[in-house]
Amino acid sequence: MTSSKSSRSGWSPGALLVVPAMLWLAVFAIGPLIFFACVSFWTASVFGLSSDLTFKSYQSLIDEPVYARVLWQTLRIALITTFLALLVSYPLAMFIARLKGNKRTLAVVLLFLPFWTSYVVRTFVWLPMLGRTGLVNQALMALGIIDKPLDALLYNEAAVYVGLVYVYTLYMTLPIYLSLEKIDRSLIEAAYDLGATPFQTFKRVVFPLSLPGVWSGCTMVFLLSCGAYVTPQLLGGPSGQMFGNIIASQFLNANNWPLGAALSVVLMAVVLGCVYLASRRFGFQRLFVGERG
Amino acid sequence: MIASGWLLRSYVGLFFAFLYAPILVLFILSFNDSEVMGFPFRGFTLRWYGEVFEGGGLVKALVNSFAVGLASATIATALALMAALGLRYQFPGRGWVIPAFLLPIITPGIVSGVMLLVFLGLTGVPYGLWTGSLIAHVTWVLPFAFLTLYPRLHKFDRSIEEAAMDLGATPWVVFLRIVLPLIQPALIATLLFAFTLSFDEFIRTLFVAGSDRTTPVHLWLLIVEQVAPELPAVGVVIMSISALIAALGFWLSGRASRLAAAVERR
Repeated sequence: MTSSKSSRSGWSPGALLVVPAMLWLAVFAIGPLIFFACVSFWTASVFGLSSDLTFKSYQSLIDEPVYARVLWQTLRIALITTFLALLVSYPLAMFIARLKGNKRTLAVVLLFLPFWTSYVVRTFVWLPMLGRTGLVNQALMALGIIDKPLDALLYNEAAVYVGLVYVYTLYMTLPIYLSLEKIDRSLIEAAYDLGATPFQTFKRVVFPLSLPGVWSGCTMVFLLSCGAYVTPQLLGGPSGQMFGNIIASQFLNANNWPLGAALSVVLMAVVLGCVYLASRRFGFQRLFVGERG
Repeated sequence: MIASGWLLRSYVGLFFAFLYAPILVLFILSFNDSEVMGFPFRGFTLRWYGEVFEGGGLVKALVNSFAVGLASATIATALALMAALGLRYQFPGRGWVIPAFLLPIITPGIVSGVMLLVFLGLTGVPYGLWTGSLIAHVTWVLPFAFLTLYPRLHKFDRSIEEAAMDLGATPWVVFLRIVLPLIQPALIATLLFAFTLSFDEFIRTLFVAGSDRTTPVHLWLLIVEQVAPELPAVGVVIMSISALIAALGFWLSGRASRLAAAVERR
């Protein structure tokens, strides 16, 4: 409902209230991003940064196969993580959506509680689970199944999957649960009345109606996994490195800001491309706002 | 569906075991009287909790986190509230406001972090709690504050405000006497949500915090430097504080919405 005052004159002084927030974002989000993209065309030398524009950083992205390999590995890990999170989350969301009253509240609180702390803590908890002196190894040894600790549990790609699914699964469960919750019960009853089996009802009625939640969850988990840094750094070891780790090392170890900026531009392009594709299909706002608002 | 009921229930049991087992293990290990982090359990001790607070590193990090959390939650909520109020009017370029708000959410955390590192580094702003961390936290929290407040103000019945205006109230009086009391519960919920997001923020802070560690940064540096035996105790302390803040948040926002419901009934 638009106020009659504002629609007459085109814009109203009240609109000026958006200015402070937009200024903040312009100075601290949009501005630094554009500036950062410019830095990716600079060059780093022992004397510091030179602001002559070159394609040197992008050239080395192409010349050195390690970057393409890690990018590919990152996309693969993000896709598999998204798929695993979907498998793990869907039955859970279905279960919670079927609960009623206090039981549902309890289940939602239990689900949320571990996510209320920093993901640094939530990733770290897997070290005493999967390490040489961790629960899994020591339990298997106590049971006599193995003689010495398995090193294969930690510091590889598989450990990254465990960590990422553990850290990000709520972003999948929540939108799916919200879209399942909205389904009109009478549609399901109608399917049963017409003689559909439980499986048919799920396939033809429940699952299609939950798709907005599924896509919203998949987009969130995929985006978060693409930018992962903590999980591969703590659990991945040398073989489980992702794009976020090679970006960080340009700033923490190599001190090559232009190359780090170029790598970031690539990651940003991948992410924006995915958001563009997903939003063309489902609507930009619904992807982030609609299912939650 | 009855046949699959027990299958689904046992799956959900397994899921919650997956969710809580690592936390339980951390809790048990925080009392383990062993110099090596891990099993076997060699006896009960409280000494790791003593070492957690020795040296004051964690306490300082907690104080930093609370300070920057309060400041960034307040700033972000104020900016988000103004923007949500402003968006109720028509103006050119209105369609760009929501995409602008979503940019910090879409940008991968690692990119936001190094981007701000370069921006501050090349503009000569020193890294630290009240520069880098505050800027990073407000920027990160602002979109979520906006997304929580915007739907509430969007649904808002404008006729009450217009009635007050017709009766001669200035816009400021309308805001203080009508809008603010009605959105108070949403405002409290937003502040708390913003605070917890800031309190748990890590990757955007790591690169710009300078020597002023926040709590997650402090834990990260402890883990990276060496896996010390007191780490499980540090983890338990941080998790307990997060859980306490969450519980306080549920309690306060529940109380605020009951209060608002009572006001509306009257």
